[in-house]
Amino acid sequence: MTTESSNKTPSYTITCRMNHEAAALERLCQVVRIRGFRIEKMAVETSGGVLDIALTVQGTRPLTMLQSQLKKLYTVAEVILTTPVPAPATSRTA
Amino acid sequence: MNGAQHILEAFHRHNIQTIFGYPGGCIMPLYDALVDDVRVEHVLCRHEQGCALAADGYARASGRLGVCIATSGPGATNLITGVANAHRDSIPMLVITGQVPSPLIGTDAFQETDVLGMTLGIVKHSYLVESADELPAILEEAIALAQSGRPGPVWIDIPKDVLLTEATTAPIPTPAQPQAACPDLTSALALLRAARKPLLYSGGGISLAHAEDSFRKFTECSKLPAVVTLKGIGNPGKYSTHNLGMLGMHGSRAANRAVDECDLLLVIGARLDDRATGKLDGFAPNARLIHIDADAAEINKLRSAELAIRGDLNAILGELTQALRETPLAIIDWQKQCQTWRTTGGFQTAVNEEPMAPITGPAFIRQLSRVAPDDTIIACDVGQHQMWVAQHYQFAHPRHHLTSGGLGTMGFGLPAAIGAQFADRQSTVLNVTGDGSFMMNAQELATIRRYNLPVKLIIMDNQCLGMVRQQQELFYNNRESQINLDDNPDFVAMARAFDIPALKIERTDQVRRGIETILAYNGPMLLHVAIAREENVWPIVKPGGSNKEMIDETRRSTADKKENIA
Repeated sequence: MTTESSNKTPSYTITCRMNHEAAALERLCQVVRIRGFRIEKMAVETSGGVLDIALTVQGTRPLTMLQSQLKKLYTVAEVILTTPVPAPATSRTA
Repeated sequence: MNGAQHILEAFHRHNIQTIFGYPGGCIMPLYDALVDDVRVEHVLCRHEQGCALAADGYARASGRLGVCIATSGPGATNLITGVANAHRDSIPMLVITGQVPSPLIGTDAFQETDVLGMTLGIVKHSYLVESADELPAILEEAIALAQSGRPGPVWIDIPKDVLLTEATTAPIPTPAQPQAACPDLTSALALLRAARKPLLYSGGGISLAHAEDSFRKFTECSKLPAVVTLKGIGNPGKYSTHNLGMLGMHGSRAANRAVDECDLLLVIGARLDDRATGKLDGFAPNARLIHIDADAAEINKLRSAELAIRGDLNAILGELTQALRETPLAIIDWQKQCQTWRTTGGFQTAVNEEPMAPITGPAFIRQLSRVAPDDTIIACDVGQHQMWVAQHYQFAHPRHHLTSGGLGTMGFGLPAAIGAQFADRQSTVLNVTGDGSFMMNAQELATIRRYNLPVKLIIMDNQCLGMVRQQQELFYNNRESQINLDDNPDFVAMARAFDIPALKIERTDQVRRGIETILAYNGPMLLHVAIAREENVWPIVKPGGSNKEMIDETRRSTADKKENIA
């Protein structure tokens, strides 16, 4: 299920865990913007060398595209969707 | 050892022998260390963009890591186009820049720019080094990362004080490369066997994965009709009878027709770029899609895959070949159909044997293809000549065709040819360029002269920005805007000013002799080829249009009408 904002653009909440290093948050935010989403809310916690980021994003493109691009970042360890949307039924991965 | 010396030690450990760079204030400690190091050949280009593009050409031609170096501020910003070019085409590159000393970062110091911030979107990864002690580990990680998985540029920005500080860290062992198991291909083989009209679609990922031989064996064994992307040109080799050529905006009718009619598209090492697919709605409308790639983020990005396989292309192609060798595909009717299309819908060009006739781009490239040795490397620039090379030159290997596919960087070809010649001192290296592109990095003629590189330069001069003019003619009511270059310099005199011999040809009867003259010359030489201003690249699909709506010369007057492939 997606949550919907007032203008009906789908919004999603995801959590990311990534290394805490120079430009880490900028790197993450830039991917969100370039891939067609807008950040609605962001909360960051630092623990040791790790950043835990809770992110509410809004956008009309498939969220899977954003997730895969965030996972591709070298310093991102995991991306978890906390408001899940069903995966496309036709696709499977070997 | 200080930070600068650690960089050189990392180069030696990884057998990096050639680097392209330009010195300046904050990178001077590295250049000072280079004075005492005879193991690394530093190539001084004449502009940092030339350094980055030369490193790119070196990597493309060799399959090895390209390395470029520059100072902070303008040195770094000048690199950016070259690094973006490498990023878009997944070229393994290590970029090292000096940065202002750590205490001065954020003070608007002389030649300070936020390199890390401004390059985030054009790198696979990047680092700002905060201490000399962490530099050795960062170098190891960066060199491995640039070349692993889907390759790309990795940028290390190093403050001057870090370069000068003694590092106490013990050497870091190179991480072992995990041996990836081949994914299960049962479903892929079942889909392939169930298809009546399967088509192979390959891209630049084949050579990036060093899977050229595996791919060649697979195509020979499977006998699958095949299309290639711009970066996949050369994958099937020069003589493959199943190759329908490049698909897409300037693709062959045969290739686009086969994609339109196939019932299964086996995509290997390609990302379904918009220039290749055309309007996605009309792309391969009847096909199930198997997508095999090293990058998980490319799967389902633009077109949903029935089956996605991520893994090492060598292993996957090897397994597929083995399975099809045991039980071949039964697709004889489809193969015959594609052969018919190949005969009737390949790239065509009019042949004018009249000696005094003006030279045409396609005819020139065909003659070049006939005369040049098989191992010739061609570095193109961007525009009409780039598409004529893609359409009409027969490449034996994908690493022989260096072209700026993703970014479309005018000015790529000359520095890329320099990099390629350093990567392969024996092969013939040509830069085929246009009059517009040539002027974007013409300063690198000085680099060719300095190192006496036998690079041959061919300028196809139509005295305008031909590709823009063509699209203005076809899609903007022939309203020409800022494309005129009829005040170009005298290219022959310009080459001679750099002590590079040059000659000009302008008639059909001069073509063969002109080509043979530059190929036979023992050193760099420039051939200025005057071609007609009004010539276009055919066929063409209107940007944003469907590949079914190809326009060719006979239909140019009806460019705005939708037409079916026929």
